[in-house]
Amino acid sequence: MSMTHRERVLAALRRQEPDQVPWVENDIEEALQVQIMGRADFTPPELCEKLGLSGFGAHFPTGAAADGQGLVTKETYKESYYNPQKVTFDFFPPWIAKMGADPDTGRTYIEKGLLVSEESLKLFDQFLPDPNHPGRYDRVAEWLDKYRGDYAVFARIRLGAASTIESMGLEEFSYAQVDNPELINEIHRRFSEWSAAVVDHLNDMDFDFFWANDDLAGNTGPFMSPKVFRELLLPNMKIVAERIKKPWIFHSDGNLFPIMEDLLSLGMTAIHPIQPSAMDIGKMKKEYGGRVAILGNIDLDYTLPLGSEEEVEAEVRDRIKTAGPGGGYLIASANSLTDYCKVENVLAMSKAIKKYGKYPLEG
Amino acid sequence: MVNVLQEIQEGVINGQAPRVKELTQTALAQGLGPQTVLNEGLVPAMAVVGEKFQKGEFFISEMMISARAMYSGLNLVKPLLLSQKAESKGKAVVATVQGDLHDIGKNLVCMMMEGGGYEVVDLGVNATPAKFVAAVKEHQPDFVMMSALLTTTMANMGKTIQALSDNGLRAKVKIGIGGAPVTQRFADSIGADFYAADAGEAVTKANMLQIGGNA
Repeated sequence: MSMTHRERVLAALRRQEPDQVPWVENDIEEALQVQIMGRADFTPPELCEKLGLSGFGAHFPTGAAADGQGLVTKETYKESYYNPQKVTFDFFPPWIAKMGADPDTGRTYIEKGLLVSEESLKLFDQFLPDPNHPGRYDRVAEWLDKYRGDYAVFARIRLGAASTIESMGLEEFSYAQVDNPELINEIHRRFSEWSAAVVDHLNDMDFDFFWANDDLAGNTGPFMSPKVFRELLLPNMKIVAERIKKPWIFHSDGNLFPIMEDLLSLGMTAIHPIQPSAMDIGKMKKEYGGRVAILGNIDLDYTLPLGSEEEVEAEVRDRIKTAGPGGGYLIASANSLTDYCKVENVLAMSKAIKKYGKYPLEG
Repeated sequence: MVNVLQEIQEGVINGQAPRVKELTQTALAQGLGPQTVLNEGLVPAMAVVGEKFQKGEFFISEMMISARAMYSGLNLVKPLLLSQKAESKGKAVVATVQGDLHDIGKNLVCMMMEGGGYEVVDLGVNATPAKFVAAVKEHQPDFVMMSALLTTTMANMGKTIQALSDNGLRAKVKIGIGGAPVTQRFADSIGADFYAADAGEAVTKANMLQIGGNA
């Protein structure tokens, strides 16, 4: 029996077997969206239709050319947060950091975290928007109503771990673990309470699920020891997680195996993106697939940006074969579709998902 | 005397910066040479830290905390080594390649290489092939180490190697590369001398090459 896109996503998130493996992406960079569509004035469902995606969220170039979470300053962030000019479904707090931009690509990066002392905590007041301001919720509700159709739509949020690490800077964050753990705790608590207030509003909206983006690991393992994760981060992340009333995906790059049991105590529905250079999806499926749905694992280091269409097809086939049986797998890139992915490879991924993703899967 | 070196090692491994500073002062006051403090106190401690990281017993934060402790001793020892014109184990020019602004991995490599007894010239981020060429001419290093976090910027590693070749400098240095998307296969494809999966491995591979082995 054929399912709608939304049913397909929700079934896979519940670790059930849908009619076919759904494809959703955490983010598709706007330059790539425009390349795929050949124009900038498309709607989110038009992009989904073109690729065969079962859901959407994040942001789209449709609308005036305004910054997303790009080069923001404390002066401009609040206004652009309350009154987004382009279609967005993101509810991220700003990095409290000095931002830079690569002059060649325009890609933004964090130059330096600014939360380094008790004194710097006053920056929260200057940077953080009011989580109860109706502006963004009203605007996004209009877009949801207009575009949702039978797609699964997600809001992106943070539990606060990435906000804390990036706004302190990894070195300061590390040193504070021995010098001033209470500072980490206080910063994290403030970010998490902000996100929890946001989640209270989002719970009442027409979103199908949330996607919590909190990068806290590298290829070899989490940035911090499991003990520090457990004692300083996890309790604050729970402030947000416990308020969520919809299915939700937890995202962190890197190798999460060393903290998997603690992570799972947050109660997420699914884990993303199972970066192939850091985690083995076969191990993930075998050891944790009975407890949490799995998303991602199509390689972004080589296959999508540099590989051939045949290599993309082979990888899609392999991942569906490994993680698809029994359901509980949603296919996606191993982070997001960045603007350095080859368009033909993204189209090859789309084709291969349709070819190999139908249940019952090939043996 | 031996005890103080052991205590320095423990202090570095445990990430106790003020203690390592104090112990280094004690060691020097006891008449231990700066080279001894470096080679028998700080360097072996950071080797242990690198090993623990590779075994998954230490994480990046702990490596940074240990490196800070190592520097609290190294900063005392360094001026003495310079005044004695002591020979370093080798010299490395380190940077992220052109277009890459992510410096965490590169900074860890700098820390671990200094903690491994090497002299490090940190060119920072976004270093063009020309900048690497100029640095190799000026500093005459044994190693050039490049880091990239993005697949798009990895290509600039190959361009940097080409620029070193074009300037007749390729044979004078050993080239090591690393970063999240980088693999041994990629290192082979661009003709790098070695690939390191993490900062600790960068040091062990540099050590192997310095004694004439293969990385």
